[in-house]
Amino acid sequence: MITNSNSISKLQLYFFIIQSQIGIGLLALPNAVQSTAKGDGWISTLIAGVAVQITLFIYWLLLRRYPYATYTDITKKILGKYVGKFCNLFIYIYFIMIGSLACALFIRTVTLWLLPLTPVWILSLIIILSSIYLTISDLRIISRFFVLASVLIILLFLLSFFTFYLPKDFHYILPIGHSGVKNIIIGSHRSLLSILGFESLLLIFPFVLDTKKGILKTVSLANFSVTLFYTYFTFICLVSFSPTQLLQIREPVLYLFKALSFEMIDRLDLIFISVWIVPMTTSVILYLFLSAKSISNEKTFKKNVCISGILIFFITIIPFDEDQLAIFDKYVTYLSYVVVFGLPFILFCLSFIISKTERSEQL
Amino acid sequence: MVNGISFDLDQDDNILATIRALNIENKGGGQFEVKDELVKVKRPSVSGMGIDINNKLPGLIDVSKSHIILIGRDLARKGIYPYLELFYRPRQAYISTRIVIAEDKASDIISLNPGTSPIAFVVLKGLEAAEDTTKIPKETAFTAWSQITDTGRDIILPFVTKDENDKITIGGVDLFNGDKFSGISLPNGKGSLLLLLMDRLNKYAEMAVELGSHRSISFVVKTMKRDLDLKVDKKTKKITCRINITLHLTITSYTGKVGEKLNKDKLNKDVSKILTKQSDEITKSLLEANCDALGIGGILSSSYPDLWKKINWDKEYKNVKFKTSVKAKIDRTGPVF
Repeated sequence: MITNSNSISKLQLYFFIIQSQIGIGLLALPNAVQSTAKGDGWISTLIAGVAVQITLFIYWLLLRRYPYATYTDITKKILGKYVGKFCNLFIYIYFIMIGSLACALFIRTVTLWLLPLTPVWILSLIIILSSIYLTISDLRIISRFFVLASVLIILLFLLSFFTFYLPKDFHYILPIGHSGVKNIIIGSHRSLLSILGFESLLLIFPFVLDTKKGILKTVSLANFSVTLFYTYFTFICLVSFSPTQLLQIREPVLYLFKALSFEMIDRLDLIFISVWIVPMTTSVILYLFLSAKSISNEKTFKKNVCISGILIFFITIIPFDEDQLAIFDKYVTYLSYVVVFGLPFILFCLSFIISKTERSEQL
Repeated sequence: MVNGISFDLDQDDNILATIRALNIENKGGGQFEVKDELVKVKRPSVSGMGIDINNKLPGLIDVSKSHIILIGRDLARKGIYPYLELFYRPRQAYISTRIVIAEDKASDIISLNPGTSPIAFVVLKGLEAAEDTTKIPKETAFTAWSQITDTGRDIILPFVTKDENDKITIGGVDLFNGDKFSGISLPNGKGSLLLLLMDRLNKYAEMAVELGSHRSISFVVKTMKRDLDLKVDKKTKKITCRINITLHLTITSYTGKVGEKLNKDKLNKDVSKILTKQSDEITKSLLEANCDALGIGGILSSSYPDLWKKINWDKEYKNVKFKTSVKAKIDRTGPVF
């Protein structure tokens, strides 16, 4: 139920959505979109942003009808108890999977750039223990932390201005639209992992202290900011690297900073990634929270957070090699289409039909 | 700590890497003793060199502070890409390291003993000064990487020589085709002009021009304007590139007759004429070297994408027609009229 202790304000919602979307995905995003959309990768991220906006609108239309229910309550209400529970299981698996993926990618990046010799399980344990610790304290505390952590994102944004010192070549992105509509759309699809996280609205909607219209405005604004942020980074990567070079680099955003050198300061990439650990952790925290929230009521929440944390821990210490991780990524992306885009849309259509029939019954 | 590294090709087609490493020892009381060490490794290929070097040095090798890479011309003819790879793949490597070509053997330069300061810093300081005055382009492992992988552009790299007194001099720029040295290089003055044609004026550029018998002028270019116009003939598909640059000069010295007053208009004309002639020679060298330093391919791919897909740029580049004109404009004559 909505109590004073777990409701959040408008500002907190804004940063909650931003923090949940921005995370591990950004580092590899330019590479992901460039592999198909070439120089038009920045259009791909814009299109992805529009797609998210449409989805958010559908969420809002759906949630507006059930102002006191979360995603998992709505499935039960519309689809009946058994089918609803079956759907919820899917939703739970999805959150666990994407949480594990985010955590696994996070660990891989840390081992690659910062701690090459530390065993994976130690890293995983540290990340997950700290995540569980924050998640147990429920929504309001998490939101406060997210607002605080957003200062770092702003800091990193300012840090990115230094990359203007690098030689830029705008010919790489010209002529605009040269890779064709199909490739641009595929590029948007590949950027999906980076923009996921907005689905948290489905589960936190009832806890926001705002009018319904106000919520729509806030989440749209958050999505707009994230889209601009991503497009900006993709754009500077596209004009700074040659297309062949960009395909060779796993984390282009870090290489941007690696190439910088000043009299006072060097190796900005290591500073960037050390700070970026926080936005990456917030993604893990978010999925831990969402997975626990999706299956529990007030009493069982804390227990479920621990269970989810243990599950994620065990999935992340499976020794994935790079190709297996890519396959894992692919399946999670497909699952996300079902849970994040498909199911809410079906629910919305059904709820629309139900309300129509209810109204006709009343007449 | 590796301070500088050089690659050469020896007679048996082996690669000879010479490494200048710094050994810093703490003497206590905040004082450090810096010792310079020279390590030479020979191998048929570049991979595994790091392991060989480790075997020769006490402790683990740290390439995070290697400030320059020197590559011998013989090796550069075979392609420099494999040697750059060493500097962008490893996690610790310093990607902003400068890349320099050595006219003769690179190991000769890196083994020079300058006395106090490590040789890499001596070379680096010289390079930085030359970059500021637009004598050579600033190319690091990172920028070289992006230009070599770019099909629509070729790189030019600075080269250094050793004179009879064992001093290191910056010779000018080497023209590259892809990652291979084309065999053609431009001396200092022309190198500067090429950089101006590329619109890469750094802080300022210094140049000297001989105007004829006993008349010479040297000047500083602080601001400039470049117009680059690419035209493709619809029928013949002939590519014409017109480059106009306007240079704003400040005269630093002028030797003429006794008591001669500066005639700005005449000087403007003379300097423009000579520089235009020089830039024609430069574009000819570029075509001969098959070095697309001006990035014509990039412009072509963005403005004429259909044509770009059809042609083989590596072969087609030779048929590009350049029309260059340099316009000099004397803004200031210094404190003397």
